[in-house]
Amino acid sequence: MNAPLRQVPEGAVAVALTVNGRPVAAQVEPRTHLADFVREDLNLTGTHLGCEHGVCGACTVLLDGEPARACLAFAATCGGACVTTIEGLDGDEVAGELRAAFNREHALQCGFCTPGMLVSARDLVLRLPEADERRVRLGLSGNLCRCTGYVGIVRAVMSVIADRRARGIAPQDGAARALGPVGAHAGDGVGEGKAVSAPPTAAALPPVAVEVVEDFIPAHTFAQSFSLAQPPDAVFAAFADVRAVAACLPGAFVEAEPAPGTVAGGLKVQIGPVAATFRGQARITRDPATRTGRIVGAGADVGGRSSTQGEVRYRVRPGQDPGSAVVELTVGYTLKGPLAQFGRPGLVRDIAGRLTALFAANLEARLAGAPAPAAAPPLNPFALALGALAARLARWRARLTGG
Amino acid sequence: MKPAPFALERPRTTADALAFLAAGGRVMAGGQSLGPMLNLRLAAPGRVVDVSAADLRTAAREGETLVLGACVTHADIEDGRIAQAAGPVLAALLARVAGGIAYRAVRNRGTIGGSLCHADPAADWVNALSALDASVEIATPSGSRRLPLGDFLTGALATALGPDELLAAVRIPQPAATAGFGYVKHCRKVGEFAHAIGAALIDPARGAARLVMGALERPPLLIADARALFGGAVDADFAARFDPEPADAALQAAGIADPVSRHVHVEVLRRAVMQAAGLQAGRAAA
Repeated sequence: MNAPLRQVPEGAVAVALTVNGRPVAAQVEPRTHLADFVREDLNLTGTHLGCEHGVCGACTVLLDGEPARACLAFAATCGGACVTTIEGLDGDEVAGELRAAFNREHALQCGFCTPGMLVSARDLVLRLPEADERRVRLGLSGNLCRCTGYVGIVRAVMSVIADRRARGIAPQDGAARALGPVGAHAGDGVGEGKAVSAPPTAAALPPVAVEVVEDFIPAHTFAQSFSLAQPPDAVFAAFADVRAVAACLPGAFVEAEPAPGTVAGGLKVQIGPVAATFRGQARITRDPATRTGRIVGAGADVGGRSSTQGEVRYRVRPGQDPGSAVVELTVGYTLKGPLAQFGRPGLVRDIAGRLTALFAANLEARLAGAPAPAAAPPLNPFALALGALAARLARWRARLTGG
Repeated sequence: MKPAPFALERPRTTADALAFLAAGGRVMAGGQSLGPMLNLRLAAPGRVVDVSAADLRTAAREGETLVLGACVTHADIEDGRIAQAAGPVLAALLARVAGGIAYRAVRNRGTIGGSLCHADPAADWVNALSALDASVEIATPSGSRRLPLGDFLTGALATALGPDELLAAVRIPQPAATAGFGYVKHCRKVGEFAHAIGAALIDPARGAARLVMGALERPPLLIADARALFGGAVDADFAARFDPEPADAALQAAGIADPVSRHVHVEVLRRAVMQAAGLQAGRAAA
């Protein structure tokens, strides 16, 4: 009644679905997930939001009668679906029995997990053939409770299962369900054969201020090497041309060379659905006598959430065949900020290995006289970017559910 | 923690989905992998093409091959809704893998095609289907193409899928009646991504075995010549002659330097082999 009128946001799409038995038609932004939709637009705040990336289970609701994460379903993709939140389970027979059992067994304390817990528990009561403690515990593993230690919850769920089976109520096997994600229906009118809205354009990248520290001890190091059918001196000479080197590395770009031996640039990387741009500065030193060099630098992701330092040491030595060269790279990096607590050196190695192979092929072609690919920065932001991105992925995945 | 704004398309058909993808966009099926990345703003695509309601929710049998549409969910497989097309043996084997993926609420929306396209090295289908010698059917602007899974998975979170292509179906050959299957993963918490995965399809009658070690931050490691792990031949008492050395050597060759990590992966593979021999029961899930 006193709720302010909500403005229809730009880019909103129409969606029609059923919530707790009531038809609902609304305009939602595509990015609005179902939990926000029921909480903010429908004032159904019994659905709780904890982690918002599918791990904690607090937002679990029924989609077409089956449990699903409301934070991982976008409202605009739920057209035609039947959504049941905890508020819609007031008159539900199984939920009623569970509420009594939760009460009896002290299966809740603060209550934050309880709405999602009841939805998952109801699913177990319906599906499990018998009150098997191991299967009940496994089934509740996707709903985090930090008060009860689960003892009361498990006891409550088992008692309801045992009671219903004793009354001759058989478990459900889901054989009649249609294939495909629950809640996904055709014919809700969103995006049918035409573009709904133009993709938002990316804002111009702000400059990133970073400081290059010459002497740091990297937290992670790994080595890469590749061979080229070119003489070592020619390869080492090619490494002197920063822009040429950058041009061989996919996604790399040089913005400026503010002083001799200093370069500013960045790297655009695409790993799975993650597209990121890292920018920074590097200093380059070379020793022609030993055909070695060092690139040390610092960078930050464009969002500015994390910064990194890194170095690449390279050595060009003669290969086995006359006139061939082997390039040995040692990459070291350190992460600062929220990303630093996670690391997946293996993932960095895999990605670096693939990028190194592309780099070697491009460099080989360039040295052989082929036209250079489009502009790309030195190896330094390359290493920095990979480290930061991999750690970022690790941070996200360390908390994620397995697939 | 809300996603950056994106435009949304909901194609009904593969053809419509390809038309959208031609203009650029990130495919989303069940959204159980992309959703968290959107919510955390790790991914911020301008356009999301949601194929969850498209014509990819199918299960069919072509000769000895099970063909699953990309949008068949883990729960569909867990509950046996594909059993008619799969046949009892393959259905039971796939159901065991499916039931161990994440949590039921995730399995109700997460899809087999989405999991393969996300290509997380520690994902279950990526590894189990590598052992089962599956291939993928890719819809392209000019028609379709097929790739063995080993060629489709090019790296950690990387596939051979072009930006204008869509994974349409997964093709899983019927294992021989004489073959045993083992699938073991090592997790510290139920439902999390595995730290090590072992998958084994072993057919002593034909002297053949496909052994896969996974969750290595790279595509699944398929052992080129599995006979070496059994003293030179895969025969009736292969389980008694399991030799961890060649598996360890394969991991070393793949760049896994940490001996503890190698030990865990080899041990998990050994358990999968024992399971394939029928010596260790598979774990059922809730």
